[in-house]
Amino acid sequence: MVNAITTENVNVFYGDKQAINNISLNFLKNKVTALIGPSGCGKSTFLRCLNRMNDVIEICRVEGKISINDQDIYKDQIEVEQLREKVGMVFQKPNPFPKSIYDNVAYGPRIHGFTDKKNEMDEIVATALKKAGLFEEVKDRLDDLGTSLSGGQQQRLCIARAIAVKPEVILMDEPCSALDPIATSIIEELITELKESYTIIIVTHSMQQAARVSDKTAFFHLGNLIEEGDTTKIFTKPDNQKTNDYITGRFG
Amino acid sequence: MFYPVLFLLLLSIVGFYLNKNKSVYLSKNQKLASLPAYYGYLAFLYIFVPAIIIWLGLLIGKSFILQNYLILTLGDSLSIMNSDEINLFMSKVKNLSLGISFGNETDLEKFAAEKIISFDKIFSLLTYLVLTLSSILAFLIARKKVIPNFKSQRTVEKIVNRFIQICSLIAILITLGIFLSLVFETLNFFSYVNPLHFLFGLNWSPNKAFVIDSAETIDKDILRDAFGIIPLLGGTLLIAFLAMIVAIPLGLMSAIYLAEYAPKKIRDFSKPVIEILAGIPTVVYGFFAALVVAPKIVIFGKSMGFEVSSESALAAGLVMGVMIIPFVSSLSDDVINAVPQSLRDGSYALGATKSETIIKVILPSALPGIIGSFLLAISRAIGETMIVVMAASLQANLTINPLEPATTITTQIVTALTGDTEFDNPKTLVAFALGLTLFFITLFLNYFALKIVKKYREIYD
Repeated sequence: MVNAITTENVNVFYGDKQAINNISLNFLKNKVTALIGPSGCGKSTFLRCLNRMNDVIEICRVEGKISINDQDIYKDQIEVEQLREKVGMVFQKPNPFPKSIYDNVAYGPRIHGFTDKKNEMDEIVATALKKAGLFEEVKDRLDDLGTSLSGGQQQRLCIARAIAVKPEVILMDEPCSALDPIATSIIEELITELKESYTIIIVTHSMQQAARVSDKTAFFHLGNLIEEGDTTKIFTKPDNQKTNDYITGRFG
Repeated sequence: MFYPVLFLLLLSIVGFYLNKNKSVYLSKNQKLASLPAYYGYLAFLYIFVPAIIIWLGLLIGKSFILQNYLILTLGDSLSIMNSDEINLFMSKVKNLSLGISFGNETDLEKFAAEKIISFDKIFSLLTYLVLTLSSILAFLIARKKVIPNFKSQRTVEKIVNRFIQICSLIAILITLGIFLSLVFETLNFFSYVNPLHFLFGLNWSPNKAFVIDSAETIDKDILRDAFGIIPLLGGTLLIAFLAMIVAIPLGLMSAIYLAEYAPKKIRDFSKPVIEILAGIPTVVYGFFAALVVAPKIVIFGKSMGFEVSSESALAAGLVMGVMIIPFVSSLSDDVINAVPQSLRDGSYALGATKSETIIKVILPSALPGIIGSFLLAISRAIGETMIVVMAASLQANLTINPLEPATTITTQIVTALTGDTEFDNPKTLVAFALGLTLFFITLFLNYFALKIVKKYREIYD
């Protein structure tokens, strides 16, 4: 078992307020890890540390060590743009750019200069759309606006957009919370397929979803990591009383 | 003159409290259909609204009644006068009644003035009497409405609703009136000058119309070449274009800096400072352009070997550009800020840098709104008057060379309406035709700008 991402003693502060308390958690390569916990427990904040999306927030400060392939991502040897090329992200609300479907997917490859040739770019776009399970639905209208798709299709477009950059890790921040049950089940199937090629870390509010898609589960509460382990174990016989209370719906 | 209004307000307030007290008293025993205050408002409106209309009627009718009263009392002496003499007599007598005397009044006029003074007293007494009676009557009606199942709130809201409708109707009618007066005077102008010669003529020299004596028949051939709007339109567009060359890059860049790069402290400080530019009176910009910028351009141009006019389009255009920077920057800043954070996050998460995100995601998304802000700024530049009156030339010149003098539509409107104005001469009347043209140009631009901005808003909502 190889770790894709290792974190040691991570603390996150918003101004004076501490949002994450000394968390150490490793993510296995080609596995799906679910981060669960009640609202405000810090799971999204922690996820956003992994591709340094918290950099955008001026008052946010991250301490500790987060490494990908033994490279500390908060040290200067790696540029944040390079990091995000390796660690893609899918957001809670589908956020396609107001551009064509094709340009949405080609956005990342163009920025990172993957290719100048039209036919190679077509290939990259088609492959990414296929992997995201969207190609068959949109292959005849790649010039339509990405925003004209349905919510579930938009989210798969965002996944295709992330895949097109050839990341190693994909972070998903409640990717189904804005979708209907059918679109949700399509995305969940997709996640299971994608873990063959990528390491996936998913934040979710739905415990059923965590149980369905993930191999590992980590339970967060009030900025602390309460318990982590195999999903089956966490959901059947957790060690910690709080975890048990949460998964049985007693709070959260 | 406004004492009757105060008097009415007082009566209405008294009515309000009387009615309110009664309904408060009633509400102790049974539930009323509306809150007690609404029965009070009802009395207030019932008293105030009809009475104020009566008062306005009396005010308007007063001079008519006065004139007829004088004709009745002085009868014979006035009947020999014609209407001009009666008007003269009336104004003299009115002055006299106010104590303005020139010492040459006849006995008849002095007598009439005394009559006016006594008439005024009676009339004002009568006014108060009428107002009081109408108030009492209205109050009695309102008083009868203080019964448990009368929904006074509904009635009050209906009256207020009607009042608001009338206010907006007045605003619309005034705008329409201004527009129609422009149209009619323009038609009047077109009776002297063929509209085609006006819209497509290449020559602007309205002083040719001076040769025409209004009493004589007008030689239309002279006017043919005098009122061509093209050189003015050319000058207007040239100066507006120069202004946009200054305002678009500076305004847009500062908007991008403020919206995307500036730390909060700098943003909080610079945004109001830039908007202060919009608060400087345009006349200040005008003399800044004429006295500071224009001479500098002449000196600089000479040192480079160019012949520069002291009233160059460049000076007016540059300063006008500075004036509209805040329009561009403030509106663009708003539309850039309206681009959702989620799009920025999406771009950053793919490994895009800040500048890539701005160029490839934010600006394209905000583009329609930014273009809208440009169009609004252009229509502002085209309608701007004071800067060009002071800094641009009065002489029409069809050119695209910014170093030459140029004049604008607004400048010529000012010229046409200052000094000798004769409203039977095309030289003056042309102002209305110019105004109407300007009105249509800016209407058109504003319409498109707002349409584009609106379309853009719909994308995110």
